[in-house]
Amino acid sequence: MDTEQQIEIFRQAHSALRAELGKVIVGQDAVVEGTLIALFAGGHVLLEGVPGLGKTLLVRTLGEVLDLSFSRIQFTPDLMPADILGTNIVMEIPGGRREFQFQRGPIFAHLVLADEINRATPKTQSALLEAMQEHQVTAGGELRKLVEPFFVMATQNPIDQEGTYPLPEAQLDRFFFKILVGYPSAEELSEVLSRTTTGARAGVKKVLTHEALLELMKLVREVPVASHVKDYAVRLVLATHPKTETASPIASQYLRFGSSPRGGQTLLLAGKVRAMTEGRFNVSFDDIEAAAAAALRHRLILNFEAEAEGITTDHIIAQVLRDVPRDVAAVSV
Amino acid sequence: MTGQRRTGAASLAAAMSELQIIESALEQASRRRRWARALRGLWYGLLVGAVLSLVLISVWHLVPLPLWTLTAAALVPLLCALGGMIVGGWHKTPLSEVARWVDGRQHLQERLSTALEFAGEEGVGTWRDLVVTDAAEHAKGLDLRRLVPFRLTKATRWAVVVLALGAGLGFVPEYRSKSFLQKKADEQNIKEVGKRLADLTRRNVEKRPPALEPTQKALEAVSDLGDQLNKKVFTRSEALKDLANVAEKLKDELKEMGKDPSLRKMEQAARASTGNDSQTAAGLQKQMEALQKQMGTPTGNPDALDKLKKDLEKLQEAAKGMASKTSPGNEAERQKLSESLSALSKQMQDMGVQLPQLDEAIKALEANQTDLVLKDLEASLTDLEKMRDMAKSLQQLQQQAEKLGKDLAEQLKNGQPELAQATLQKMVTQLKSANLAPEQLQKILQEVSKAVDPASNYGKVAEHLKNATKQLQAENKPGAAQALAAAAKELGDLAQQMGDAQELAATLDSLNQASMCIGSGQCWGMKTGNKPGYSPYGNRPGGGAGTWGDPNAQWDGQWSDHWDNSGSFRPDQDPRGHTDRGEGELSDALKPTKVKGQFQPGGQMPSITLKGVSIKGVSKVAYEEAATAAQSDAQSALSQEKVPRAYQGAVKDYFDDLKK
Repeated sequence: MDTEQQIEIFRQAHSALRAELGKVIVGQDAVVEGTLIALFAGGHVLLEGVPGLGKTLLVRTLGEVLDLSFSRIQFTPDLMPADILGTNIVMEIPGGRREFQFQRGPIFAHLVLADEINRATPKTQSALLEAMQEHQVTAGGELRKLVEPFFVMATQNPIDQEGTYPLPEAQLDRFFFKILVGYPSAEELSEVLSRTTTGARAGVKKVLTHEALLELMKLVREVPVASHVKDYAVRLVLATHPKTETASPIASQYLRFGSSPRGGQTLLLAGKVRAMTEGRFNVSFDDIEAAAAAALRHRLILNFEAEAEGITTDHIIAQVLRDVPRDVAAVSV
Repeated sequence: MTGQRRTGAASLAAAMSELQIIESALEQASRRRRWARALRGLWYGLLVGAVLSLVLISVWHLVPLPLWTLTAAALVPLLCALGGMIVGGWHKTPLSEVARWVDGRQHLQERLSTALEFAGEEGVGTWRDLVVTDAAEHAKGLDLRRLVPFRLTKATRWAVVVLALGAGLGFVPEYRSKSFLQKKADEQNIKEVGKRLADLTRRNVEKRPPALEPTQKALEAVSDLGDQLNKKVFTRSEALKDLANVAEKLKDELKEMGKDPSLRKMEQAARASTGNDSQTAAGLQKQMEALQKQMGTPTGNPDALDKLKKDLEKLQEAAKGMASKTSPGNEAERQKLSESLSALSKQMQDMGVQLPQLDEAIKALEANQTDLVLKDLEASLTDLEKMRDMAKSLQQLQQQAEKLGKDLAEQLKNGQPELAQATLQKMVTQLKSANLAPEQLQKILQEVSKAVDPASNYGKVAEHLKNATKQLQAENKPGAAQALAAAAKELGDLAQQMGDAQELAATLDSLNQASMCIGSGQCWGMKTGNKPGYSPYGNRPGGGAGTWGDPNAQWDGQWSDHWDNSGSFRPDQDPRGHTDRGEGELSDALKPTKVKGQFQPGGQMPSITLKGVSIKGVSKVAYEEAATAAQSDAQSALSQEKVPRAYQGAVKDYFDDLKK
C-alpha cells in the first residue's frame, strides 16, 4: 500500500470516526476533533469539565468504535496504585501448590478511561506516569509492557471542586492535549435531551482496527514540516518560558514555568494530523496555531499574580500567539 | 492530488517539472514585488524629498541662504525619489522568502515554501512528490496582478501636496532685511567697481607701460586690488579701507615724484598744452596740410567766410520770396538778385573760394528756373558752411602751432620736452654730419647757449647743455653731439617720469572714483545729473551735454569704446583759459596734500563739541597703526558722504596731518 492510499484510508477513517462518534455525542466538535487528533498522534487526552457533559460517554464511545480493548477506572480518594496497575496474588495452581501470580490491572488495555482522575490522591495518580510515557509498568518487581496502541483518556472535574487533588505537573505534561469540555448550546442540549430521554439508543459500529490505527499513526509522523513552520512551533514554546530573552511579555508576567519540549512535540504532531484531516500534505502555521491551546494550556504553570488576577493559561496562550510572528523572514510589500 | 503512482526517475523528473512551475511563478512574483518595492521607495523618497525641499524653500524665504539653496530644493525631491527607488528595488529577495511571502498573502497554508524546501531533499520520496504537485497546482492559479498590484500609495498624494506647497511658496516673495539687501547691493557694487578698476588700470598699463618700477608696482597693486574686489567678498568698509590704503601708497609715490623740481615745470607745461605733445609738431603740420588740401586754394579767415555765408543766406531768403510772388515786377527783382549773386560770387572767387553751385544758381536764375535756383543755393550754402568749419579748424591748428616753441630755449621754457628732445636730436644729427657749415655750427651754439638757462628746471639737462656749449665753442663737434645726446636722453627720461606721474594721477582719480562709487552705493558710470556720457538704453540718446541723465541708470557691465576718445582729435574741446599760475604750481595730484587756511573763505571755521569717554593709560597700539586706521575710517566716511561737503576738506586735512 503506497502513501497516497494510506492517506486516503486515513481520511476515510477519520470521517467514519467522526460520523460514528456524532451518532452518540451531540455537538462538542472541538472536543471530538481534539480527541481524534490526539488519538492519531498517539497521545493521551485530559478532558476537563463539570460533571454531566459527556466526557465519559465520549471516551466510552470511542472505545466502542475502535476495535480496541477498553477499560474504565473510576478514580476515588481510596483508589490505590495496585488497583490500576495490578498486583501479585497467591493463586492455587493445579497440583495443590500455591504461587504468586500477577493479576493485571485495568491499565492493561488499549484504551483506558481514567474517570475523574483528580479525585484520586497524587500517589495513585502517579501510578500512571510510567504507563503513559513508557507504555510499560513496573509491578511485582517486573517490567511489563502495555499493549499498543495505548491511550489514556482521563476526565477531571475543575480543580476548585470539592474532593479533588490537582494533578502533578509531571502527570499533566504527559497528556498530549488538555481539552476543555464546555456546556452545550441550546440546540445541542435539545438534541441531547431528545436522544437520551427516549427508549432508542444509537448503536455504533467499529470502524478501525487497532492494526490499521497503528499504521495510520505511523503515517501521520511522516507528514513533512517546513523549517520555518517548525521554527514557529519552537518560538511559541520558547515564548512561554518566563524571564528569558525569547519570552513573551505576558509569559514573563504571569507564568512560573513555561512549556516543556513535549509541548513542541505536541504542536508538530497535532499539526501533522490536522494537515492530513484538512487534505494537505504539509503542516501550516494555521495547524500549529489551532493546536496551541490544547497542547500548551496544561503545560504552563501560573504564578501567584496570575492566580490572583484570574488570568488563565488560555489567556496567556492567546497573547503569545499574538506576540510571536508567524514568519520573521517573509517581509510584506 | 494526482492519484498517480510515480516511482524512481520518472517521479523525480515530474517533480522537477512541477518545481520549475513553482519557481517560475515565484520568480515572476519576486520581480513584480521588487518593482512594487522600488515604486513604493520612489514615492516615499519623493515625499521625503518634497518635505526637505519645502523646508529648504521655507528657510530660504526667511533666512538669506545662498541662491544654490533653491537649486538644491528643486533637485532634492528628484534625488530622494531616485534614491528611494534604488533602495527599494536594490534588495533581491531569495525565492524561499518569496515563497513564504506568497504563502502568507495567498493563504496557501505554506504549500509553496514547504515544496521549495523539500524539493531538493532526498529520502522524503512520495511525500516530496505530493507536496510539490500540490504546490504546483496552486502556483498555476497565482494571479500576480492581484498579488502585487501597482498602485499609488498615500505617500504619493502627500508628496504631490507637499510639492505643490513648495512650488506655491516659490511665488511668495522672500523676506530679506534692509541691512542684508544693502550688504548684497554693496557686494555687487564692489565687485563691479573692482572689475572696472582692474580693467581700467590694465588698459592704461597696456596702452602706456610705466617706465619706473615703483610705478609699475603701484599700478599692479591697483589692478590686483581690483581683482580682489571683483573676486572676493568684501564689506563696504573693508573695500574702502583697502582702496584708501592703496590710494595712500599712490599718493606717497606721487609726492615723491612731485619733489623733483624738473617735473614741476613739465607738469605745468603739460597742463597748459593741448595734452597731446606727440602731435604738436609733425602731427599738427600734417593735419593742417590735410585741411588745406580739402579746402583747396587758400581761403580767408573763418569770420570772412561766416560773413559770406550770412550774405548768401539773405540772398537765399530773397530767392525764396521771389519764388512765391507772381507779380509783373518780379523780373526786376530777379535781375537784382542775379546781380547780387554775381557780386557775391566774384567776392568769393577773390577770396579763393570756389562754389560751382553758385554759378549754376545764377544761370538758373537767368533761365527763370526758380526751383533749381533754390536747390543750387542750398547746396552752395552747405558747401560754404563746410568751408567755414574747416577754416575754423585750420585757424585753431595754426594758433596751436604758434604756441609751440620755435627754438630749443622756447621749447624748454614752455615745458615741451618732447619737442626739445626732437630739436636736440636734430642738432646731434647735424653735428654728426660731415658737411656742417660754420654758420650752422654757430647757430647751434647760439641756440644751445640760449637754452642753458631755461634748462635749469630739467635736472642735468642744463649741465649737459653747458658742456655742449663748451664743446661747440671749442669746435669739438663729436663732444658736443655727445653732450647734446645726453641732454636729449635726460629729457626723454624726464618725459617718461612725467608720463608715469600722470598715469599714477589718473589711477589715483580712478581709485577715488571707485571709493566714491562704493561709498555712495552707486555703480561706476551711474548718471544722476546732466553730465555727458553713458546711457543704459541703446536706443535712446545718451546723457550727454544738454540732456538729463536717467537717475536710475546703471552700468550694464558691457564695455563700450564710445566714451574712449583719447585717440580722436578735438580742437574744439581744447582747454582754454589756462594761465601761468607761477612757479611751483602743481596739479592737485602732484601738490602736497596739506592745505592750510580756511575752507570757507571769509567765514569762521565751525567747531563741534564732542562728548567722549576719556581713556587713560598706555596705548597698546602703535601710533602709526592707529593713525592709518583712523585715516582709513575717515576716508570711508568721506567716500560715503557721511561728512557734509563743506567740512570734507577740513576733515581730510586733519587726518592727513595725523601721520605727519
